[in-house]
Amino acid sequence: MVTQYGIKYAVHLITTHFGDLVAKVCECLLRRGPLTLQALVKFTELSSSQVKNSLLVLIQHNCVQAFLPEPGDHGDADKLNTQYIVLFDNIIHRWRFPKFLNIVSEKLDEQCVKLLEGLLQHGRLTLKQMSDRDRARLDQKEGEDVILDATRANLIKLLNARFVERCPAAEPVLAKPTEEESSARKRGPKSAKILEENETLEHRVMDAAAPSEALRFLLVTQTESAADGGLDESNTSSLKAGVKRKSDALESETESGAADEQVLLWRANFEEFMRRLRHEACIVNLRARLDDGAVIVLRAMLEATRSAEKKVKTEHSVPLSLNSIYEEVIKSVEGRNITFDRVRASLVQLSCPPFVKAINESYSIDFKKIIELAQSDEVESVVLKRYGSDACKMFRLLSNTGRFVETDKIADSTLIEKKETPMVLYKLWKDDYLHMEKLQLTGTRQSHFLLWKVKKNTIREHVLDEMFHAALNLNLRLAYEVEQEKELLSLSQDNRDKRLRKVKLLSQSQMKLDDAIMIFHDF
Amino acid sequence: MSRFQGANALKRKRPGSASDALTDHDQAVLDVIRSKQDMGIYQRDIKREIHIKNGINLPDPAITKCLKSLVTKNLIKEVKNIQSRGKKHFISVDFEPSNEITGGAFYNEGSLDTEMIAQLRRLCWNHINGLQIATLEAVTEYINRTKVPKVQLSKQETAELIGALILDNEVMEVKSSGTGEFASIPVGKVCYKCISKRAHGAEPKVGAFASIPCGVCPRISYCTPDGIISPKTCVYYNKWLDF
Repeated sequence: MVTQYGIKYAVHLITTHFGDLVAKVCECLLRRGPLTLQALVKFTELSSSQVKNSLLVLIQHNCVQAFLPEPGDHGDADKLNTQYIVLFDNIIHRWRFPKFLNIVSEKLDEQCVKLLEGLLQHGRLTLKQMSDRDRARLDQKEGEDVILDATRANLIKLLNARFVERCPAAEPVLAKPTEEESSARKRGPKSAKILEENETLEHRVMDAAAPSEALRFLLVTQTESAADGGLDESNTSSLKAGVKRKSDALESETESGAADEQVLLWRANFEEFMRRLRHEACIVNLRARLDDGAVIVLRAMLEATRSAEKKVKTEHSVPLSLNSIYEEVIKSVEGRNITFDRVRASLVQLSCPPFVKAINESYSIDFKKIIELAQSDEVESVVLKRYGSDACKMFRLLSNTGRFVETDKIADSTLIEKKETPMVLYKLWKDDYLHMEKLQLTGTRQSHFLLWKVKKNTIREHVLDEMFHAALNLNLRLAYEVEQEKELLSLSQDNRDKRLRKVKLLSQSQMKLDDAIMIFHDF
Repeated sequence: MSRFQGANALKRKRPGSASDALTDHDQAVLDVIRSKQDMGIYQRDIKREIHIKNGINLPDPAITKCLKSLVTKNLIKEVKNIQSRGKKHFISVDFEPSNEITGGAFYNEGSLDTEMIAQLRRLCWNHINGLQIATLEAVTEYINRTKVPKVQLSKQETAELIGALILDNEVMEVKSSGTGEFASIPVGKVCYKCISKRAHGAEPKVGAFASIPCGVCPRISYCTPDGIISPKTCVYYNKWLDF
């Protein structure tokens, strides 16, 4: 779901990070979809080398992916040229780098954080480049090999935790969509088609470019036999990470181990970070509703099933038996004094409303439900603040029933004065929070009724767009305040403190708003 | 003539009472009102009804006069109709106005009794909170025992009260599993539970979007980076950032 303000927000971000030229190329791709170099030159009215360099920057930072469309039946010559597709999500992820670093600092040591920081800063790096960075940072006294080994060990740690992955292929050939995919696309409504088509194309390109699951988290050391024991051990465990290992691919990798350090590019694995943030969001949401026991059980379930998740937007976790949940619960510090019966009771608590579904004595987390609830919370909070508690009550009623309800019926269910109900509903309708339909009856005295309904998808999109707008505004205001701060440095301490507090509040709000955006956009 | 009128006539055997002194017109008006039972009738509809039933065309002032005399003779009464409070609505004294006219237990004099509702809601919440898991029956019985509502609440009406609490996100509906805390409740029965960590009437936690000025801004659709309304010059931002 890319909205108008989403595009503006992304372009603003690229402008602040990489300047106007790159932003112009990026905006062109965001608005027009995948384009060839020639088309980009034509639309942006920049010189060919300017566009090329901008594309290189964007590719280096994982914001654009090149691909070769497979020659179609029509033999269209233009289609054989390399096309460039912009990856909107990866642009927005740039705001989340502090969050990603935070996750790594909780799980791994300082050296790994530094390594990831380098990857986030530069987009893609080879092992050699990473080690060079480490050498520049650390004491120069140690030998090159020692530092290379240390860097390699850290990279392996990050790979084992799936925080880093191998970069996708530079220019994959796009296979024709399977019949299933194309028929699925045909069914959608016309208006949503363009956006949807772009999204499925993005998926297909990324699928084609992704390294095989076996290679994705695999680092083959230069000389396996020379590696010391500790390294070897961690290395083999990184081998295990690959699920479907292709032995021939592995062999060729081993041979070219030395060259790999110079050529093979690594990058941060945004997917894993998003998965962890998603899990964290689920826990935060649940904590507001249930007691600590239930939260500990959910956390344990998330921990146990994380590695089995294939994509970020997974709807259900892998089912777990009560025993394996208990096993996982007692692994954590806070879960150690929880009894088996309490875990069982917590699971009962979690299953109404159904955050966790129980089928045949095994339990699976209903992510979709938890995320939907978090979305409703956010929307209702906005409705409450903008239109008051009566409006929020009506909105909740309509959003819970999910169908048309007549004005008087709404007044009855919410215990709100019949005269006031239509006015409140009208306000919500005017701002696109409700959908209204008139029902005309011929004959009797009362000739028309008003029916109201909440269209969840439309609202989600509407709120997300406003959130992107708000995020852009926060950024602009923050930039403005920082600018002012420079001018005011000569001012008194008191005034400076005030400025600092403002900047702090703005950046905190930015992070919190981004959490909400993730709930609507990424999860 | 309607069959109701016959039944009512039997019920109201009062020899020598005021009804003896009724004029024909008075009688006609009274018959129409009685025939409407607990629903009563609008003053303006009486004329039409009499015309249909008796074929007489009574002028408006005559009907007003009849109504006045019937009210003074204590045969009919005026009631407030929640549908249209401005119109005069009459009902025979033999009947209590139906819920459709009065609005039900939560209405007083044709308007919603918000004070009583607030009190009842608090009682509901307290009771559910005390029991931890409560059934509809338990809450209804408790509320009726307190004698706060003027009339006995039906289960349906209590459900409406709890429904409003659910919409305010203070109470949630759960299905009994028959074990643990539900041990005393049959499996599958709908019960109510207070949402923990939320006191009655407390403001819910404000969402991330709603806690910044843009989230509640009525002018967000007019706001552009360099427009008349812009984040740099925004008055709401200035207020928010003014410590």
